[in-house]
Parts: sequence; structure tokens; C-alpha cells
Amino acid sequence: MEMNQYLSIFIDEANEHLQSLNENMLRLEQQPEDISIVQIIFRSAHTLKGMSASMGFEDLASLTHEMENVLDLVRNDKLKMNGHIFDTLFKCLDSLEGMVQDVVAGGTGSGDVKELVSQLKQIVKGEPAAPAAPGQPAAAAASSELALVAAHMLLDQYQLSVLRQSIENGSPAFHIEVTIREDCLLKGVRAYMVFDALERNGELVKSHPSVQEIEQEQFGHQFSVYYISRIPQQELQDTLDRISELESVMIIPLDVESLNELDASRSAEQQVQEASQQVAAATATAAPPAASAKSDKPPASEAPARAPTSAPVANKTIRVDIERLDSLMNLFSELLIDRVRLEQLASEVRRNDLTETVEHMARVSTDLQNIVLKLRMVPVDSVFNRFPRMVRDLAKSLGKKLDLVITGAETELDRTVIDEIGDPLVHLIRNSVDHGVETIEGRLEAGKPETGVVQLRAFHSGNHVFIEIEDDGRGINQPKVLDIAVKKGIVSPDEAKKLSDDEINMLLFAPGFSTADKISDISGRGVGLDVVKSKIESLGGVVSVTSRAGQGSKWSIQLPLTLSIITAMLVKLGSEKFAIPLSSIVETGIVKRSAIRELHGSKVTEYRKSIIPVLSLADVLDSPDYSDREETETEMLVIRKGEKLAAVLVDELIGQSEIVLKTLGKYLTNLDVISGATILGDGQVALIVDPNALIK
Amino acid sequence: MAEDFKVIVFTLAHEEYGIEVDKVRTIERMTPVTRVPKTPAFVKGVINLRGVVVPVIDLRSRFGLQEAEATENSRIIIVAANELEVGFIVDSANDVIDLNTDMVENPPEVVGGIKAKYLSGVAKFGEDRLLILLNLSEVLNRSEIIQLEQFGA
Repeated sequence: MEMNQYLSIFIDEANEHLQSLNENMLRLEQQPEDISIVQIIFRSAHTLKGMSASMGFEDLASLTHEMENVLDLVRNDKLKMNGHIFDTLFKCLDSLEGMVQDVVAGGTGSGDVKELVSQLKQIVKGEPAAPAAPGQPAAAAASSELALVAAHMLLDQYQLSVLRQSIENGSPAFHIEVTIREDCLLKGVRAYMVFDALERNGELVKSHPSVQEIEQEQFGHQFSVYYISRIPQQELQDTLDRISELESVMIIPLDVESLNELDASRSAEQQVQEASQQVAAATATAAPPAASAKSDKPPASEAPARAPTSAPVANKTIRVDIERLDSLMNLFSELLIDRVRLEQLASEVRRNDLTETVEHMARVSTDLQNIVLKLRMVPVDSVFNRFPRMVRDLAKSLGKKLDLVITGAETELDRTVIDEIGDPLVHLIRNSVDHGVETIEGRLEAGKPETGVVQLRAFHSGNHVFIEIEDDGRGINQPKVLDIAVKKGIVSPDEAKKLSDDEINMLLFAPGFSTADKISDISGRGVGLDVVKSKIESLGGVVSVTSRAGQGSKWSIQLPLTLSIITAMLVKLGSEKFAIPLSSIVETGIVKRSAIRELHGSKVTEYRKSIIPVLSLADVLDSPDYSDREETETEMLVIRKGEKLAAVLVDELIGQSEIVLKTLGKYLTNLDVISGATILGDGQVALIVDPNALIK
Repeated sequence: MAEDFKVIVFTLAHEEYGIEVDKVRTIERMTPVTRVPKTPAFVKGVINLRGVVVPVIDLRSRFGLQEAEATENSRIIIVAANELEVGFIVDSANDVIDLNTDMVENPPEVVGGIKAKYLSGVAKFGEDRLLILLNLSEVLNRSEIIQLEQFGA
């Protein structure tokens, strides 16, 4: 059978499954008791096995098959996860990834999996190659001791105190497990009879599954309840035994001690939950503040509610070639130019039905525009999701302890930027992990907690997306940077003395620079930061670094949204028209010439009780046939860059309009003030003014 | 090793010049040009070439010749070279001729007031006609623009 046509689908899906395997393995490492995660991992491995086998990638299939065996034991509670199993499984994932990459590169997808397979087989047989990690988490110990406390049977604070009080008051409390016979036809009815008998003689505190589920027969053949009885145990046993078709009724009396144990495992569970929350924050799908606010509440009731949010949502999607999206975008831009032209014509012709039709078309095309733009936007998560695993492995190999905290993974960026931004980010994160964060001893000496934190943030601001990587490591050693820069001839000793802190930090981005004491295979071959810088600049972005010695450094990348269509204010300067992105404009208005004053040689005016600088756009752009000097009143735009405001004087405001961004081509570059061009409705080219360049 | 090639013939200040035909995208009539501030004087601005924004330079002023008002005959030749697409404003463009590498000689130091580095050769053809062939990559050399920018700043 011709397989090539399925190959690309295989590769896409295999990568997705590998990603999901990686993510879920990391989650499982944080909460090893959560069988539902094992289920997800198992399913992914199973699908991958099936796919590989049908595509004829035997090694992939055999390795996943063995992984599946191990996972099967784990999910059936026959095997406990430990450090050795995790490491082996992670190695398997790496090997799988290698094989899939080989397939991508046109290879046969074969790899040497014998050793891993035999390791996995050993695990299945229960012969640990390495001693199991002795330090099981508290949660694991607690819950294995008290077999009846499965996670779902945990009681919340209120239920515990009810039980405790009733025991103190002398009414016996029980944990009852009822098993219904397999051949029972109406198990719901039998269960109802049990509940009926129980409710007549006491009070139900908690039941699993819930009473409702049991009544709808949504349970196996077993259910358990916490119960406060008004009658002694023997009498209760007799009452329940009288109900037919029950396999067994186990009544375990509860005392204060066992309740305390329950309480302990509850708080242990809570810790696990909190840990899972950190992971959730790290894999960040939900808004982080909301998630952390939740952790105050008792977790027992939330555990089921949270699970679905982190589970992958099965979306109905189709895969589309990115080139088709690009051509859709281009065609739409053409349409938009014509729309503006039509609007102009309609306003000249002044015929009602024409105007109405054009208005309707404008509305439709606005909706269309939103969709077309959205199609190209991808959450940065698709880049960020590989970092938790990468940081884990790096930290392990360097013997450091590290947390990677990801926020804003839902921030969206244009697909083309997403494709390109991965490598620079990998480099910067490796840099932070390797050079930034100290070793465990180093951190303890500096009086910092053992575990270093690397924060990866993404957020929107104005027309840009910012990605920041911040570590709490040792910061940039500026004297050393200067030393090396002088040695390598990047700056002369005289220049070096005059550099500001920021300028010294920027030296790191100079070609051929490395400050690492020793060259590691992780980062620091001296080829790198300059490549990072040029890559980001080629995307129209800016990279910068700030650092405080001993407290860490922050790398900040500013990227354009590269929305190819923006809303802009069109302004006129004499015969020329310019566009200014609306996102930077705070307000438009009129300023009297007399309200503009000179302050230390620069022009300022008062705006909302503060003094802001005044710029003449005509001066900045060397307007040939307009000057605001002679006017008594001038129209102005108040623009903003971060915290800074400025008033920009213009001749006339034409109005706002959707414009299609066009580049000026490679011939004209380095034009600070002009960020691009657009084609107006009349076919004329108008230049787009970059407001960020106006505010210094 | 004589090879035939075609050139587009255009005029600048009564001299005839040639650009290889495969470097020329189209020839356009004069259209309104939008001025781009902070650029060298020879950069006249940008035009809308069927939805694409293309920079145009005035070849007269690029070569330091006297600038002239646009006329009926003025044309913009869109050339593509060095991954750049640029329009040249010329006095007129109205001919395509066949040349042979044998007919091309090295340019003298200065031809018609233009420095030799912008030229790739001089071809003699027809009855005493001289055609000056442009060295496009040098004409489009951006380092000169950067120098000019720095000089201006």
C-alpha cells in the first residue's frame, strides 16, 4: 500500500502524542498517585503504538508496546511509579522522539531500542534495575497505609468534623462497603434498598459513587459510604444482611484515631493538589491568578472539577497548509483596499441603495477580517510546551534544582513569528538555567532557597507581544563582561569606561562573546546571543536584558503582533497623508499655539494636569509644504509609549481606517520614524508613522 | 565565448543606457510618488505597483546628473536584483536590442559624468551608437545609502 500520503498525518499526530506524553509524564511526576493521568499516558502510548505498527515502524511499535505494558500495571495499581521508572520512561520518550525525527528526515524510523525494551521488561517483571527511590512522597505513604482511602473517598473538613462529633457523642460511625452480586439484574434497586435501610437507622455522611449516580445504576458492583448509625454495629449488619442479592457487606467502625489518619491523608492529598496546581500553572492553560486563589478552598470537592480543565480538549480541527492561509491573507488585503475605494466612491455618488450595500459589505468584510487574522494566530503555548521537559532535563544534568513557571501561554502570536521564535527562546532559557541559576551549594551560600525559579512570561502590550525570561540566579557579572569585551576587542578600554550598565549588558549580544567559565554542551560556545539578537531583529523585534548582581537577570523580547491589518488614524500634512496606528493614540484634540511653552529648549504643553512634550510631525518628517508654526490653533494627537505621553501636531485629522500593512521593501531600511506603508482607497501610498520612534 | 543577450534601452540626459532584459520586471508610466522622509535625495519615494509598495530612485540624481521635470516620455523601470525590487525614473525607455558580449568593452573612467563603478561596459552598435551598460548591483548598493544616511545624520 502506498503509505506516503499518510506519512505527514502520521508525523503530525506522532508529534502531538509525544508532546502529550511528555506533558503528562511531567504532571505524573508531580502527582504520582493520580491514576487518571496514567490513563491519558496509556491511551497516548497505545494510539502511538497502533499508528506506528500500521505504518510499519517496528521499533517505534515495539518500544511503545513495552511502555504500554508498564503503564498497564501502573494503572491497575499493580506497580507503583518510582524514580527509576520515570527515568526509564523519559528515556523511552526521547528515543521515540528520535525515531519520529528520523521519519521526518526521510529515514526509516528505526532505532536501537533493545536496551530500553529489556529495561521495561525488567520493570514489568518487578526486578528494579536500580533500587526504588526510598523517599516516596508523604501522600503516597499515607494513602497506601490506609487502603480504604482512595482519593475519591476523601472527606472534606466539614464531613470529618461531623463524624468526629458523632463519635464523641457516643453514636457509632462506620465505613461500610457493599458489594452486590454480579448476577443481580436490578442493582440500582438493591442499592436503593441499602440506602433506605441506612437512612431509617442513621445518617449518611458521604457515599461513593454519589447517591444520585447509584440510583442511575452508574456504578460497578460496589459502593461505599461513611455513615453515622443510631443502632449498634451488629444490628446494622443484620438489617443489611436481610437485603437479598448482596455479595457482602463490610462494616468497619471508625474511631477518632482513624479519622485523624483520614485528616492527615486529606492534607497530604491537598499538598498533591497544590503541587498539581503549580504544574497546572506551569503548563498554564487557565488564568494563573484564578488558579492560585482556588487553592485556599478544600480540594476534595474540586479534584474532579479540575481534572477536565487540564485534560486535552478534543477539538474539531482540520489541518491547513500555511501557504494557503498566506494567500488567503493576501487576497483579503486586496479586497480591503477595494472596499475602502468603494466606500469613497459611494460617498461621492450619494445613492442610498449603493451606500447601504457598501456598508453591508464593510460589515461582512470586518467579520471576515477578524476570522482571517485569527486563523493565523497561534497561542505561544505551542512553543512554550516543550520547555518544562527541557528545563527538567537540563536541571538534572547540571545537578541543579529548578522550577519553570510559565504564565501567559495563551497569548497569541502570528504563526510566522511562532515558527521562528522557538530557537531564540531555547537559547535564552538554556542560558538562564546554565549561567544564571547557581548550583544548589551556590544558592545556599548566597542565602537563597535551593530551588531556583525561571519565569517564562508572555503578554500583550499595545501593538506588541512581550516574552520575558527571568531567573533568580546570580545576575550578570558586569566587570567580567567588560573584561572579556575589552580582551576580545569588542570595545576599547577607553570606550569601556564610558558604558552605562545597560550598554554593558548589551555587549553580551555582540558576536563572539562567551562568559562561561567552562564550555558546557548546554550553552556558551560563544555562538549564540548574537544569533538570538539578529533572529529577533529579523522578526521586527527587540531584545534587551536587565540584571541585578546576585538577584537574577531578566531577558525581554518585544515582538510585533505582525497583524497585517491594523486600524490607523489618517492624518494630513499639507499635500501628504500619513497613517498612525490607533493603538498608540490616546486622544485627539486641538491645542492653542499659546498653550505650547518652551522648557529648556523643548516644547511642552499641559495635558490633563501633567506636562508632556510637543512634537511637530511636519518637522520630524521634513514636510515640504506645511508647517504648524503660523497656526494659532493646531490639531494634535496624544500618543503613548508605555508610560510616556507626547502630543503630536498635525495639519488635519482625516479619520480612522483599516489599513493593510506593506513593507517598504529591502532597499529602504533603517527609517526610524516610518514603520511601513499602506495603500489608500485612491491607490496612493501613505506611509505609516511609528509612534514609538517619536517618543524618545 | 560570444553570447547574445537582450537589453532594454533607456535615455538619461541624451545618453543611451542599457539594462539586461532579465533584470527588468516591468516598465511603467510615471505615477504619483509618495515621498519618504529621511532618505537620500535620489530616493524619490515609493509607488503603488499593483498592490505592492516599491521604492523608486531618480537615476539622474543617483548619478549626480542635473535633475529634470517628468515629461510625457518619463518612465519608471522596475528592476529586480540583489533580492531588491526598485524602480528607476528615466527620461524615456522605448527599445529592446540584441547585443553580443563581443560588442561590449570595458567602460572608461567616466562616461557622461557617471563614475565607472556604476557601469559594466560600453557597447557599440548600429551606426555609431554607444550604449552604456549599468552595473546594477553597484547602482543598488545599499552601503552607499547607509553612508549617506550617516552623513546626513
